[in-house]
Amino acid sequence: MTLTILYGFTIGAILYFISIGLSLTFGTMRVINFAHTLTYCIGVYMLITFISLFKGNFLPSAILAILVVIPISYLIERFIIRRLYGESLDYTFIATFAITLIGVDSIKWIWGVNPLPLSDPIGTQLNLWDFTFPVYRVMIVAIAIVLFFALELFFKKTIVGKIVVAALEDKDGVRCLGVKVERHFLIVFILGSALAGLGGVLYAPISSVHPYMGLGILLLCFAVVIVGGMGNLRGTFVSAFSLGMVMAITARYWSQGAEVMVFIVMAVVLMFRPIDI
Amino acid sequence: MKPGTAPGPLITAEETSHPKPRLAGFDVLIIAGAFLLLAAIFSTHRVTDFMIFCIFAMSFDLIYGYMGRLSFGHLLFLGTGAYGSGLFLKYFYGNPLLAMLVGIAAAALLGMLIGAIVVRATGACFALMNLAFNYIGFFLVLSPLRGITNGEDGFGIHALSVGFFNPASKISMFLFVLLCLLLVFYLLKRLTSSPYGIMIRSIKEDETRVKFLGYNTYFYKWLTFVIAGSMAGLAGTLTALNYKYVNPNVMDVHGNVGVVFACLIGGAGRLYGSIVGGVVYMLISNFLPIYIHRWEMFLGISLLIIVFKFRKGIWGYIQEMEEVRKRQKVVPEIAGKGVAQR
Repeated sequence: MTLTILYGFTIGAILYFISIGLSLTFGTMRVINFAHTLTYCIGVYMLITFISLFKGNFLPSAILAILVVIPISYLIERFIIRRLYGESLDYTFIATFAITLIGVDSIKWIWGVNPLPLSDPIGTQLNLWDFTFPVYRVMIVAIAIVLFFALELFFKKTIVGKIVVAALEDKDGVRCLGVKVERHFLIVFILGSALAGLGGVLYAPISSVHPYMGLGILLLCFAVVIVGGMGNLRGTFVSAFSLGMVMAITARYWSQGAEVMVFIVMAVVLMFRPIDI
Repeated sequence: MKPGTAPGPLITAEETSHPKPRLAGFDVLIIAGAFLLLAAIFSTHRVTDFMIFCIFAMSFDLIYGYMGRLSFGHLLFLGTGAYGSGLFLKYFYGNPLLAMLVGIAAAALLGMLIGAIVVRATGACFALMNLAFNYIGFFLVLSPLRGITNGEDGFGIHALSVGFFNPASKISMFLFVLLCLLLVFYLLKRLTSSPYGIMIRSIKEDETRVKFLGYNTYFYKWLTFVIAGSMAGLAGTLTALNYKYVNPNVMDVHGNVGVVFACLIGGAGRLYGSIVGGVVYMLISNFLPIYIHRWEMFLGISLLIIVFKFRKGIWGYIQEMEEVRKRQKVVPEIAGKGVAQR
């Protein structure tokens, strides 16, 4: 049971990394970014490439992989999403889906369709009282908690963060103050994509790697964002960890039904709460 | 119309004052002729496939083009129809017409359940929620219901022949599907030009105003969702009968992009548009992968081009050309009259 709880926290942490970007881009730009799956996938595949370059050295390859995601997400924002501001949500959705199709096909082109193996970078087990924990999973949870506080600080203390929070409330009001909102949206978008890359990089060693891996995760993260509230950062944090726990506990008793249970929870939440979109 | 909404037919003043259903006999003849011509060019089996996809595209168009809600999980209903009729044929009785009824009823029932939750959302939220439900359905038939559905291997079915309709014969299947297509077209034509059709188009343009007028928009959206779901279920049952084989690929989540593409390239919000788009998409997806290996990339790039440059689609473009031609015809007539009076 302890391991199940730890597993739940791990999944929750990964979901949290990826959902922040979705939640922020929706809250500020009113765009559901389907291309989020793409940045996630690219992070993972870059990690695999760099690991073979650095002969198995995990940390520098992970950092480089996340850095590669940043220019790609810049290009997506600059040339696709910025042209669709103020348009119907459907078009941005279709456009970002099209980007995902192109990206996934390029991944298949470059790296091939077959699943790639990737092993746990920190193999050691942590012995604590009577239990043994895989250190890597504990580390993921620790990173998630640190990240949560770092983001809280970022949105409370720095001027960029404050502008973004204000824009979540009232975009036009902020624009009237003479702030270039679009530039801050770009920052938010890149931050979200980089965090998706981070999530991918951290999750890849404990899951399977294949070109379509992004879709399942994106749907889970979407459930997280809906349950937590679009653009609500603390809500995202809480719902990510609770849904992660739901997944872990379901998986313990009915291993195939873990993802379905998340969607059932989402449906139940939606029945009792108005959808604010 | 709000600046952001998808293009579609505008509601004209003439339509709102005299909502009269037009007779669609002429259209029916044209469509039947076009598909018979296609069948003469390609094989009947292939064109049967095209027509089934056109039925599916029209049912999608009812939600997307007419009601303005983009669903990214419409294949769920096609899959439900296919599995409903397939399982009925396999476990109970071999009558294809009865199996079709069962499949359509299953899809309609599922539409009622899911619709009650889903139609409250709009925009991308609606799309993603449908996608999530489609994912659940795909997963359910793939593994927890493996005992009944035989997992990813799928199962073959055998249908008896009833009267003139013999699913084993390609010609009979072709004619039956053509009949279904015409029936669906006629029904949708009647529906979309009725007061109800004007209502759902008004919901697309401004739902809040429709609500202010005192209509229960939730009910109409739910009803549309159920109708579209059952028509997709019909397409599903025909798919099962046509291939005599059902496997989870019929509701593969990634297949949804195909119908969105078909609807957009043909012209959303026009029945002819979705038929043209359906045929064009099927032609592309049947013949292009032979020549182009990177098929998904091609699809992605053309979707981007449609979103940025070609929103009206083929049918919308044709209609625009027609209007321009008419206007050019009218102008000299008026000018001529002016001269004559003087």
